[in-house]
Amino acid sequence: MYFDHSATTPVHPDVQDLINITNSKIYGNPSSNHHFGRKARLLLEKSRAQVAKSINTTPNKIIFNSGGTEANNHVLWSMLGTSKNHVISNKIEHPAVIKVLQELESFGLEYDLINVDKNGFINTDELESKIKRNTGLISIMLANNEIGTIQPLDQVVKIAKKYSILVHSDAVQCLGKININVQSLAVDFLSLSAHKFYGPKGVGVLYAKNPQKLKPLIIGGGQESKLRAGTENIAYALATGLASEIATKSLKKNVDHFLSLEKQFKQKLKRNFKNIIFNGCQSKKLPGLISVSFPGFCSDVLLVKLDRENIFVSNGSACGSGIVKPSPVLSAIGIDNATNLSTLRFSFGLSNSLEEIETLVQILKNKILK
Amino acid sequence: MDRVIVGMSGGVDSAVASAILKEEGFEVEGLFMKNWEEDSEFCFSEEEYKDALQVCDKLNIPLRSVNFSKQYWDRVFKYFLKEYQNGRTPNPDILCNTEIKFKEFYNYAIALGAQRIATGHYVQTKTYDGNVILIKGNDHFKDQSYFLHRLNQKQISSALFPIGKLKKSVVRSIASQFKFENYNKKDSVGICFIGKKNLIKFLSNYIPKKPGYIINEKGENLGTHQGVMFYTIGQRKGLGIGGINNGGNGAWYVTDKDITNNELIVVQGHMHPALYHKKLIASNVHWISGFEPTISNLKAKIRYRGKDKSCEIKKLDKHMVSVSFNEPRFAISPGQSVVFYQDNICLGGAIIEYAKN
Repeated sequence: MYFDHSATTPVHPDVQDLINITNSKIYGNPSSNHHFGRKARLLLEKSRAQVAKSINTTPNKIIFNSGGTEANNHVLWSMLGTSKNHVISNKIEHPAVIKVLQELESFGLEYDLINVDKNGFINTDELESKIKRNTGLISIMLANNEIGTIQPLDQVVKIAKKYSILVHSDAVQCLGKININVQSLAVDFLSLSAHKFYGPKGVGVLYAKNPQKLKPLIIGGGQESKLRAGTENIAYALATGLASEIATKSLKKNVDHFLSLEKQFKQKLKRNFKNIIFNGCQSKKLPGLISVSFPGFCSDVLLVKLDRENIFVSNGSACGSGIVKPSPVLSAIGIDNATNLSTLRFSFGLSNSLEEIETLVQILKNKILK
Repeated sequence: MDRVIVGMSGGVDSAVASAILKEEGFEVEGLFMKNWEEDSEFCFSEEEYKDALQVCDKLNIPLRSVNFSKQYWDRVFKYFLKEYQNGRTPNPDILCNTEIKFKEFYNYAIALGAQRIATGHYVQTKTYDGNVILIKGNDHFKDQSYFLHRLNQKQISSALFPIGKLKKSVVRSIASQFKFENYNKKDSVGICFIGKKNLIKFLSNYIPKKPGYIINEKGENLGTHQGVMFYTIGQRKGLGIGGINNGGNGAWYVTDKDITNNELIVVQGHMHPALYHKKLIASNVHWISGFEPTISNLKAKIRYRGKDKSCEIKKLDKHMVSVSFNEPRFAISPGQSVVFYQDNICLGGAIIEYAKN
């Protein structure tokens, strides 16, 4: 039973079919000036339009790349060498933002990481107080990957506009779980990863309201409006397009499904276990992502015992597996180390059912939390 | 059947240990330990992990990983540096066994629901009169009892050593039968976090170099050293004075370290009497049984690759002993362990303080 959809999702069968067909039939290089090249280019542009539509923008603002990490890097590296080279982010960003900022510091970039409250929300007063004359970018994730808290991006954008500062948002956890409308969010950049919404791994998207503000991170040919060199991965771009379309079209139905699983799971947990703690804001968060602490238990032991029962969950960020360190996200929201290390993340997906939730809680009760 | 968690290193020994336990019907799981952070430079733990993963996949057992690098740093590496700073030659792999593999790893395995742990060490155990005894590996060239001599009764009784009865060549052929991709992988050599790296280069990242003179017995200056703490008694290679002939014959050997004057004292020729002593004083005595043995036909090893030689032990106080050999021993090095045997049984050991005549 797979309850780790925030780490990654399986590929949707229709998307897999499209990948297979594309790889066997569409082998032209989109840059080639012949029939096969044109065919590939047309399909690439069709998928670009699909992605654009799913976040309510136009295709010319969509750059295909290798995933969310590259998208974040692309935006942050573009800040180098500009006069406005101060970036504000926050303490519960993914390493794909924080580590990049740390690295860029040695190239002259300045940055501040603002705090979050016990629910995981950024402090917008502190955000405004950190703005300097050379602040060029504010990077705040749309929703957190460990606790699911959805940030007040409208307030961030409002502040940023006052000072003409660009706003980037890492939204890799969000597509297919909440509505993403880049027009109403009014952000300048937004990162997406296909494998979080039933697409394949190794492909993603950077939305840029004004692509001219970016510098290419990978240099070479003129692909992706000269912003991302390298022959396009047609099959995976198409897969991303279709996956984004499916995810947005079925959003309402999927969210209802996630919420009913979540409600059932939380009720049963509360009924069976007395002192458990749900972390982060429980109202303004991603549906189906539950961070829960089991005081007195060690999360990596729980993880192994669940693994033996063929139940797959996550503790902390999956990227750090094998190294049991308190999660910085949970520390940032004020959770003590012992509770921190007793925390598991359950993230539900389309294939999960109420019956699975029932079995999960039974196994937790009878075999794991004893 | 019991659940056994095997310490998987990515090497052929732990791979075959897992295979044997699985065939014997145990519920086997692999656990990969990461004890050192800077793997890119010194260890290659990503490569090792990949090898372990392939083995576990072939055996259809799960592989998990755990990071003890903080514990290793605090309890093994700090001691290792301190000993070198004091001019001694420590053996961190012995401490790694008592502090990490048979303590942290064991506790973690038990927390994960294992009944026993297992490793790919070339040693054997047997229960005798209610006591568990540690026996040399049947492959005497590979025997690793020297590294495990500081374990206690609880530690050895909870561990399985499935390959202790086998010769290395047999281990390799079993690995090849199982089609493990690492069946032909070279044995690891030296201290795990240094590997094949240059010792002085490695140590000087942590201990500042302190150059001084290399002198012979007559006090004549033969060259310069990088800091006496980087050298070991009996060391021949890496002195940089190979060409010098001082009236004697053969290679130069470190025979003493004068820490106050920062001088490295060398003598010429492997048979030079200054390199040989019949007696040593050792501290931190440990007996695997928990008791001092009452037998008389004792033997001792003063280094891993050394031979067992007859000796007599005299207790000086609770922690100190003097060990007298029938014949002089070459290059007794403070900081190394002297390990005691009765035939094939490893009884325990102590840490060498100094050699005596």
